[in-house]
Amino acid sequence: MTEPVITLRHFFEKAREGQLTAVRCGRCGALAVPPKEFCPSCSQRQWEPIVLSGEGTIASYTIIRVAPRAHAADVPYAIAAVLMKEGVSMLGRVVDVPLEQITVGLPVRFRPLMTGGQTALAFGPA
Amino acid sequence: MRRVAVIGVGVTKFGKHDRTSAELFAEAAVDALADAELPASAVQALYYGNVVGGETEKQLHTGPQAASVLGIPTVPTTRFETACASSHAAFRHAVMEVASGVSEVVLVGGAERVLNVTTEESTEFFAYASDARWEQSLGLTFPGVFALVARAHMTKYGTTEAQMASVAVKNHKHGVLNPKAQFQREITIEQVLASPMVADPLKLYDCCPFTDGGAALVLVSEEVARKARRPIWVLASAAASDWMLIGDKRDLSRVPATERAAAAAYRQAGLGPTDVDVVELHDCFTIAEIVATEGLGLFEPGAGGIAAEKGWTSLGGKIPVNPSGGLKAKGHPIGATGAAQIAEVVTQLRGDAARRQVDGARVGLTHTLGGNTATVLVSLFGRD
Repeated sequence: MTEPVITLRHFFEKAREGQLTAVRCGRCGALAVPPKEFCPSCSQRQWEPIVLSGEGTIASYTIIRVAPRAHAADVPYAIAAVLMKEGVSMLGRVVDVPLEQITVGLPVRFRPLMTGGQTALAFGPA
Repeated sequence: MRRVAVIGVGVTKFGKHDRTSAELFAEAAVDALADAELPASAVQALYYGNVVGGETEKQLHTGPQAASVLGIPTVPTTRFETACASSHAAFRHAVMEVASGVSEVVLVGGAERVLNVTTEESTEFFAYASDARWEQSLGLTFPGVFALVARAHMTKYGTTEAQMASVAVKNHKHGVLNPKAQFQREITIEQVLASPMVADPLKLYDCCPFTDGGAALVLVSEEVARKARRPIWVLASAAASDWMLIGDKRDLSRVPATERAAAAAYRQAGLGPTDVDVVELHDCFTIAEIVATEGLGLFEPGAGGIAAEKGWTSLGGKIPVNPSGGLKAKGHPIGATGAAQIAEVVTQLRGDAARRQVDGARVGLTHTLGGNTATVLVSLFGRD
């Protein structure tokens, strides 16, 4: 039986503590977050867990004005695709930055966000 | 593999209905069978698309339900769910069933009912097609997904909000010519730009509406098609997938699944983008049309916005895109959309599209995108 390197539950427990975890392929060095079973670059399964710096820049963003029911009380809120320093990208809420100051290229840093009763990914000022 | 043809099409009026999705599909299927001049007893299988039946109608097992309402309960029936591309995925598999010789006559289609719930509810149900733990947890919506695509495209290529608005204006203009369209009125660039922001930079008029509706197609083998009045041949049907998570996509200004599905379809048909006369593509948002025209090879990457602005994709332009009004004006009953696009292209290739006819169209293309750009289907059609 194969053991997962990082489960979803483990990832979000660490995220809640302020740490972003990823995996690095022991064969080709590719990074993956969230973890996958097989390396999309070399198809091997030789992952090693690593900790990301949490630093990145905004690659694209939007400000949600019409939200699903569970998030309706939060509008307006920003969601960004963030290119992490290590080269992987992640989606997260943008927090503690005035909405009109959000731009592509803005440096940001990871922070956990409690929303809808669970830990979600967010990024604030670097 | 045998050649496959579409010999019957049927589409309900798109908009708000007080009937179930199964009833809407059945209406379209009756029309499609009449068009094909075949009795219901000729149907050997049903391939069916339906997406949020479980949420809006508290109804699963919608395939057999649709077959039962139509009155053909004993044919093998399968429901496909690939988000907004569901009935195009159903179509591709139906093509394979006929091409492989398993069946001679197959019914394909789909239906959706969403206007019986609130916008907040339907926004939530549609968002189920993004990842629950990584994306829904953030409050990501479908306008939000394509807003990320739009911002990336604007940043990389300088695409403007006015260029995006010109897609909506064009598709509304086409919708006026389509009696089945949900919206049959023209709008202006200024109205689009002044409409309420939904997910910056996408405004209300950049977004397709929620829609109830159904669509159906009769698919047959070459042997059966030769006895039909006006068969339209399936020249290719291809599917491609991509990473589910937005975070895993490397370049948000592109939809790689569109590029891969298009390449496969052109290869199957032995055709290229310049051979295509009419296109029905997935304009769930105005930016989605711009990116799709690039991914299908109709324009260079970055030129899609300019093409829309200059009218190259309008009826009478270089390559007319969405003469039906597209998802934007015709409407987007998600489970029915892929089949409805094919119905429009078949109508165009038969020369039956009346005021929205693309003159002399011989080759048509349909493109349907599912969810967060993780599913795309592209099919090509031709007439004798």
